[in-house]
Amino acid sequence: MGRLISVWVQTLVIGVVVCVGGKFVLAADEYAYDLVHSSVSFKARHLDISWIHGRFNEVAGKFSLDREQPSKSTFELTINADSVDTANKARDEHLRQPDYFDTKQFPTIEFKSTSTKAIEGGYEVTGDFTMHGTTKKITIVLKGGKEHDFKKAKRVAFSTELTLKRSDFGFDKNAIGPIGDEALIMIDCEGVRK
Amino acid sequence: MFEPLLYLKAMVAAAMVSTTFVLAMAALRRPASTTWLNLASVLGVCFGLAIGYYMLSWRLVWPPINGLDRFLTIVVPATLGIELIAGFVSVPRWVAWFLRLSFAVTIPRILLHGSVYLSGNYETLWHATAAMAVCAVLLAVVWGLLSWLSQRSPGVSIPVALYLATQCAGLTVMMAGYIKGGAAVFPLAATLVAAPLWIRLVTKRCIAPTYSGSPAVLGIGVVGLFSLLFIGMFFGRISTVCGLAILLAPLLCWATETPLLRHRQPWVVDSIRLVLVAIPLLLVLTAAKRDFDRDMAPLLRQVKASILGR
Repeated sequence: MGRLISVWVQTLVIGVVVCVGGKFVLAADEYAYDLVHSSVSFKARHLDISWIHGRFNEVAGKFSLDREQPSKSTFELTINADSVDTANKARDEHLRQPDYFDTKQFPTIEFKSTSTKAIEGGYEVTGDFTMHGTTKKITIVLKGGKEHDFKKAKRVAFSTELTLKRSDFGFDKNAIGPIGDEALIMIDCEGVRK
Repeated sequence: MFEPLLYLKAMVAAAMVSTTFVLAMAALRRPASTTWLNLASVLGVCFGLAIGYYMLSWRLVWPPINGLDRFLTIVVPATLGIELIAGFVSVPRWVAWFLRLSFAVTIPRILLHGSVYLSGNYETLWHATAAMAVCAVLLAVVWGLLSWLSQRSPGVSIPVALYLATQCAGLTVMMAGYIKGGAAVFPLAATLVAAPLWIRLVTKRCIAPTYSGSPAVLGIGVVGLFSLLFIGMFFGRISTVCGLAILLAPLLCWATETPLLRHRQPWVVDSIRLVLVAIPLLLVLTAAKRDFDRDMAPLLRQVKASILGR
């Protein structure tokens, strides 16, 4: 009888552990970057009087969202630098050259989160931003996070804006020319749950 | 941004420093031995390049992150080191050539390190390996043939031909849109022509009458020309045909070894060599300018119009 109780207790304990563990696993939802409904665009000052706009057409990424424990949420984004598009073919070719993005040497621009904090209306995400072979820790504010079920697929979206100095990432100062050193990057990201 | 005045300053500074070193070292020991003149050449080129790149506000980056950084921090110092060793009379010629050819084989791999060519799939990697092997063979052939010619029939036309090819390479790389890559040739070209001219002058004054040229300057000239063209082709946008034409153009100096021209006056031989080398280089420059006018000039006109409109 005692042995039967012992087995029953063990089964109960294991069941509880599995359920609680399972709840933790399920709490973090994995999302894939939806290229069709997302965009990574940028603008930079031209002659300090106007803005040049551009975008990257090839972006991939994923994020896992843990609503219960936001610090366990992670965000990753990889931009194909070769896909730069400023609506001017000659300028795009020039931007791919070693004086600017040097896409043969540095084919991607990447962000990988290292810590996440929930704030009102979104998340404050700190991570490593790698561009032009230089990695710097940056903090971005992701606004949004609303969920929407569309055709049986759960979707979540975030938006953020960040300002970077190109000279901080090893871009040649002499090549900056009439284009300002600072670039404003705008990321609108919609994720589809895997 | 294209800054011709800055490039001119860098060239003048590089040439002056290079010349000063060569003359100072030649004055220190009379008659100067071949080893001593080689040492003067290596140091002259080394300090000339250092001051030239300093004038361009370039700083050495370690670890190097791109092809041009690897050229400045690995390829140039290693070539100078090899030529320094090879310049000693006590070093057997086969050892000197073993060092040169071993290094020539590794240069393409060094320049492509960390790039998409070496991190792609199997097919890309195979193509890159084949391209690197062909390029290494080309470098070795050009280096070997020019060295042989400078031993067989020395003359100032060989470093001047290298100078012309290097300048042409820089302008072509620039017109293809890689301005910094093109600018890298100016201090190099200045030292290529300054050091041998002064050594020629010094040796003509009987300080070292048996001296038959500067293998150190030839080595750094060929390696520099090859490396900048290689970077321009793989990281910039210069075409393979342009790259090959510029690299092989100095070999036209061999044309004067035909029986018809071989025994002419030295100045006639030098002039014929330079004219022959200049013809393909001018054709390449014309083609590069045509491509520049078609692809890049409209963009610059827009920038110019914006600046004028301001």
